[in-house]
Amino acid sequence: MKDYSHEKYLQTLDEKLHDKQMRDNLHSAMSTLRAGRKKLVENDYNDWEHLRTKASQVKLNCLGKLDTLIEEFSANCANNGMKVHFAKDANEANEIIYQIAKDNEADLILKGKSMASEEIGLNHFLKEKGIFASETDLGEIIIQFIDEPPVHIVVPAIHKNRKQVGEIFHKYIEGAPLETEIPKLNAIARKYLRKKFEGFKIGLSGVNFGIAKEGAIWLIENEGNGRMSTTASDVHIAICGIEKIVETFEDAAILNTLLAPSAVGAKITAYNNIIKGPRQESELDGPKEMHIILLDNHRSTMLGTKDFYKALSCIRCGTCLNHCPVYEKVGGHSYMATYPGPIGEVISPQIFGLDKVGYIDDLCSLCGRCSEVCPVKIPLAQLIRKMRAEQAFEGRNKIAGDENIQRHKGMDMAMKGFATVASNPTLWHMMLWSAGTFKGLLAKFATKAPVLRDWTSCRTFPEINTGLEAKLEKMEGVTCE
Amino acid sequence: MKKVYFFATCLGNLTYANTSVSAVKLLRKVGLEVVYKKNQSCCSQPSYNSGYFEESKKVILSNIKLFNDKDMDIVVPSGSCTGMMREDYRELFEDTPYMSEVEAFSSRVYELSEYLLKENIELEDKGEPMKVTWHSNCHALRVAKTITANKALISKLKNVELIELAHEQECCGFGGTFAVKRPRVSEAMVASKVADITSRGVSALLIGDYGCELNISGYMKAHGFDLPVIHLYDFINKRIGE
Repeated sequence: MKDYSHEKYLQTLDEKLHDKQMRDNLHSAMSTLRAGRKKLVENDYNDWEHLRTKASQVKLNCLGKLDTLIEEFSANCANNGMKVHFAKDANEANEIIYQIAKDNEADLILKGKSMASEEIGLNHFLKEKGIFASETDLGEIIIQFIDEPPVHIVVPAIHKNRKQVGEIFHKYIEGAPLETEIPKLNAIARKYLRKKFEGFKIGLSGVNFGIAKEGAIWLIENEGNGRMSTTASDVHIAICGIEKIVETFEDAAILNTLLAPSAVGAKITAYNNIIKGPRQESELDGPKEMHIILLDNHRSTMLGTKDFYKALSCIRCGTCLNHCPVYEKVGGHSYMATYPGPIGEVISPQIFGLDKVGYIDDLCSLCGRCSEVCPVKIPLAQLIRKMRAEQAFEGRNKIAGDENIQRHKGMDMAMKGFATVASNPTLWHMMLWSAGTFKGLLAKFATKAPVLRDWTSCRTFPEINTGLEAKLEKMEGVTCE
Repeated sequence: MKKVYFFATCLGNLTYANTSVSAVKLLRKVGLEVVYKKNQSCCSQPSYNSGYFEESKKVILSNIKLFNDKDMDIVVPSGSCTGMMREDYRELFEDTPYMSEVEAFSSRVYELSEYLLKENIELEDKGEPMKVTWHSNCHALRVAKTITANKALISKLKNVELIELAHEQECCGFGGTFAVKRPRVSEAMVASKVADITSRGVSALLIGDYGCELNISGYMKAHGFDLPVIHLYDFINKRIGE
């Protein structure tokens, strides 16, 4: 059972802040990703902002009729020969996949890359049943070896540099020499994977875009393992979060146009796989059986919220993480649940429970850079603020686990105190007068008093400088009233 | 003579009264009469950003009713507070009975640099040539969008050369309550910002928002960095010999 306790969170945070290697690696990686995206957006697109607006509209339109799109999508997928399943939650999805493995007498599933599968805890679930869900994405392989969760939505092992990866390969891959050069590391991984791909039965993928009108799924990737896992197997299982469904191919194309540049600073990914079903009568290859699992897991609740449905526009590009100044300092594991960074702060509480991981919303200075770069214009900073309001018992939305949250008495008191003083001129002036009069005393207590001591732990105590009214009254052309 | 309201901001009353005076001097310089409502307090970002919307609304409504002359603009020497008052207020009070009252207020809010440019301020730089750098407050940059106005004022000072930070648009880690809620993360962020500032080969950091100023200058002083951190409006007054 995952430990979501506040203690574990603070412990993890502290550990990561002191992990110099991780911070250096992350800084280097995130800087590169940001620079790559910036260069591309500035040089190769005529009107990136217009594209963002279009993409945002596509998503909101589709979300607005998601119920009919799900019906259309599942009917067309079924017509194309896919077996369509509906999973209300993580457990149902896991059971469906387990059943498919059992029906095919398989004890091995090869995975492309799927954050949804991470969300439902698939690998762990299957392991308990004696089935090995083996990763084939390079980053996912690395973290599977060292038994860590992904640190990023798109680049799961970005916190490890090539020297560390070389050591991991040398330790966990039989016969692998100790290397540090990237082409050599890739060669080790390719050789390792080639063996795995020999005669495997079941391949599992996620879905980047589900196209309702076509009854097809569109998968994007750069390594080729995705195509391999979904075409060379006998059985292909695709997990599709219901929010991934759009209406037309054109919808998906608009979103795809923004995804690769946002994610990795490339115009397009190396592979684009559009899959319309299993092997047809006249075809010579492809999986004989294809399953698609439509995963809800709180998404329909999210859709019904006043504010947070906007987060369902997410196309999982990871650029909000890449641009988050907090993420760069603390790394993905500090966010405690599957989805880190700004998007995680909005959706993790809704999927894993506000009572479980709501505290991650304090990993944000509300700088707004995430909202600025999100390709589908999710107002992430605004939504993080709104999620804080939910925790202050002042929100308007239903969030999973919100019936269990506790009031933060200290914050409540401080904020009510602030509101009282700031809306009462007498109290406000008294506060200013006290600060001015007792500033010496305040400075003395600054290292011991709660809150103040957090400020002075690395900064000097602010110099109190009051008496504005008196100063203004002396000025010509200035009226104090 | 045209009259404007001056909103000093909470920190402009608590830690930066002298800078508030500098700001008012600049309004006087373009021939404006300034009205200071004594009972003003705070734009309410601290409680708003913490998700305490109802408390914020209470403070906001008690403040905006002070600025009741609809023909007078409200000038604020802070992009951060301007963003809150001009954009966030509208969002917060959307679909509430106070919507039109808030709209009438928000539509009259300007950041000081914006206003001075509108009034065609002339700045005669009497100082020695110097190099400075500039940090952009996040709310000013992304919500109020007033940074270009701040920089336009700096460019009017003929002997001042602005050297940009390598990561000007990166958050300094203040984030209001964030600095004391997650102090170690905030510290990591301000440390990066200060490393950037002190590597630019300049003789001063100019800054347009009080929260960032407290954060960055506080960190620098505590760690022995003696590069001066000067608020934009204090700096301008000094350069023009006020």
